[in-house]
Amino acid sequence: MVVGAEDSSAPTSGESASKPAAGHGRHRGLARALTKRVGQIIFVLVGVVVVTFSMLRLIPGDPARLILGKFATPDSVAELRHEMGLDKPILTQFTDMVVGLFQGKLGVSLVSRTQTVNELIGPAFLNTMGVVAVSLAISLVIGISVGIIGGIRRNDAFDRWLQGLMVVLLSTPPFMFGMLLLLLALRTKIAPVGGWNHTPFDSVKYIWLPALALSIALAPVIARSLRQSIRETFAQDFVEAAIARGLPRRQVVLRHVLPNSLLPIVGLIGYSLGGLIGGAVVVEVVFNIPGIGARMMAAVGARDFPVVQGIALVSAVTVIFFNALADAAYWLIDPRTRTAGS
Amino acid sequence: MTATTQTPSTTPRRSPHWLRLPHWKFAQRRPRGALALGLALLAVIVLATIFVPMLSPYTATAIAGKPLMAPSWLHWFGTDTAGRDVFVRTWVGGRNDLLMVVLVVLGSSIIGTLVGVVASMSSPLTDSILMRFTDALISFPGMIIVMAIALVFSGVGEIGPFPRGALPAVIAIIAINWASYTRLVRGEALSLRSRDFITAATLLGYSKSRIIARHLLPNLATTVGAYMVVDAIVAVVTIAGMPFIGAGIQPPAPEWGSLMLAGSTVLYSAWWVTVMPGLVVTVYGIALSLIADSLLAEIDGGAR
Repeated sequence: MVVGAEDSSAPTSGESASKPAAGHGRHRGLARALTKRVGQIIFVLVGVVVVTFSMLRLIPGDPARLILGKFATPDSVAELRHEMGLDKPILTQFTDMVVGLFQGKLGVSLVSRTQTVNELIGPAFLNTMGVVAVSLAISLVIGISVGIIGGIRRNDAFDRWLQGLMVVLLSTPPFMFGMLLLLLALRTKIAPVGGWNHTPFDSVKYIWLPALALSIALAPVIARSLRQSIRETFAQDFVEAAIARGLPRRQVVLRHVLPNSLLPIVGLIGYSLGGLIGGAVVVEVVFNIPGIGARMMAAVGARDFPVVQGIALVSAVTVIFFNALADAAYWLIDPRTRTAGS
Repeated sequence: MTATTQTPSTTPRRSPHWLRLPHWKFAQRRPRGALALGLALLAVIVLATIFVPMLSPYTATAIAGKPLMAPSWLHWFGTDTAGRDVFVRTWVGGRNDLLMVVLVVLGSSIIGTLVGVVASMSSPLTDSILMRFTDALISFPGMIIVMAIALVFSGVGEIGPFPRGALPAVIAIIAINWASYTRLVRGEALSLRSRDFITAATLLGYSKSRIIARHLLPNLATTVGAYMVVDAIVAVVTIAGMPFIGAGIQPPAPEWGSLMLAGSTVLYSAWWVTVMPGLVVTVYGIALSLIADSLLAEIDGGAR
């Protein structure tokens, strides 16, 4: 048993120290990895813009006709087509949209012709992100607690039941869990059932229940990942060394094992965000929160396609941004990931 | 442990994201038992969607009793706001859900596996182009885009057995979802390619297509199969979530998600309209997670 071997107690410096002139190669690797990642982000962004652009154009029939209904005169249809820019060549329409995006403009609502899409979806988007943020916090608290318990109490009855509960929770759709919580709230009055309040502090009262409902999609995954990660860390030599030095178990776990086990969680949060926003859209409807789900539904009902397009675009860009942030966090925290291969 | 074995332990094995999901502990100790239990639960659900609508005295659309009757021997899941039998509606809705899930999983897995195998067997340039595209698609913020597409097209697609809105939803999900199969399959296929039996087949002069069909695909089947089961859990949550924002299957066709949504207005007085279909979805998820876990335990001998 190698106790306290240099390269395992300091895995961060192990790789570069083993090779001469590794510093140069590592920087080249980092540059290549960065280029690759940035290229990918641009590719995805372009893809998102193209998809949201074509969404409106691929609907069977003329959007202007769809908006105005069967009985509109050809003149008014032509007028709306002109207003929407649909009479221009398709490439011009696309460049118009891209130019608008670079100026931060998502277009004008077709229903209330005076409001821009930005004004319409801004507050809704903030509400949704509020639910997502609180849900993330709840997921982290639950997930990390359960993960630590699972990582330490290996396979005892308590751990087994907790694991079973996690699978059951993960098998339950968040909107189902949301309805159960809603039912509980209706019976016990532990929280207001639905509704909304615009003062930020007060809104916590309305957010925590839907956020908890949403958490069942993420908390079990965090718990599982951390549990696995803690076990892998426990198997490493520096933990063995810490135990051999006679440190109390509590200190070994909190100071040595946990910090070295949290890395996968960082990526997990970044990559789960897309699903979390998608789930929030559904859960909001259950709890009657005026977020992007309600806004999108109303917009489709009124055939207000620029709003649908704007919501898809803004959510997509948010997700891409947080994915990139997760990668950046990886690179900052763990130098081992700074190679093109990973 | 000796000094020679220290290198692998310092580089943590990063298992794919979907392997890090919670797992049933007993599925690792008794894979056969977990598989049997999971299959039994799934069989109950599948058989119920087939036979309940055939055998029940009620139909999905006809009024079967007074509105909002509590569950009883007459109406096992109670009745909804219009007095329709929730039990029959749940299983008729299950037909739609299961049909869509099967299409999504089959479509994604076939496309994804083919692209993955082709990428692993072709020139480095083709491989890298295919994989860049796949990576981009995986980091594509799928859910919200899928919902937006399904929502915008929800008015079309009443074809054959598919209710309005079903096909656009299925196609939108497949269009994004296949990429995760590709990444999985390519990784597995690359590691299989370096194995002796593939080398032997290559040296024997067999064609690429024969190697793919006779040697690669059979060995990929278990991994892809396990992932398909996991995917089927995710797919049903997506499909059943769509009606909440007006996408997916359009009323009056019943579906698990839309049934629950319809019950949410009377949740306080008649919980069964919402909770009963919801429980079926949960049991479906538990059944599939049991099956997936036992398959995973087969694959790597319970290494997790």
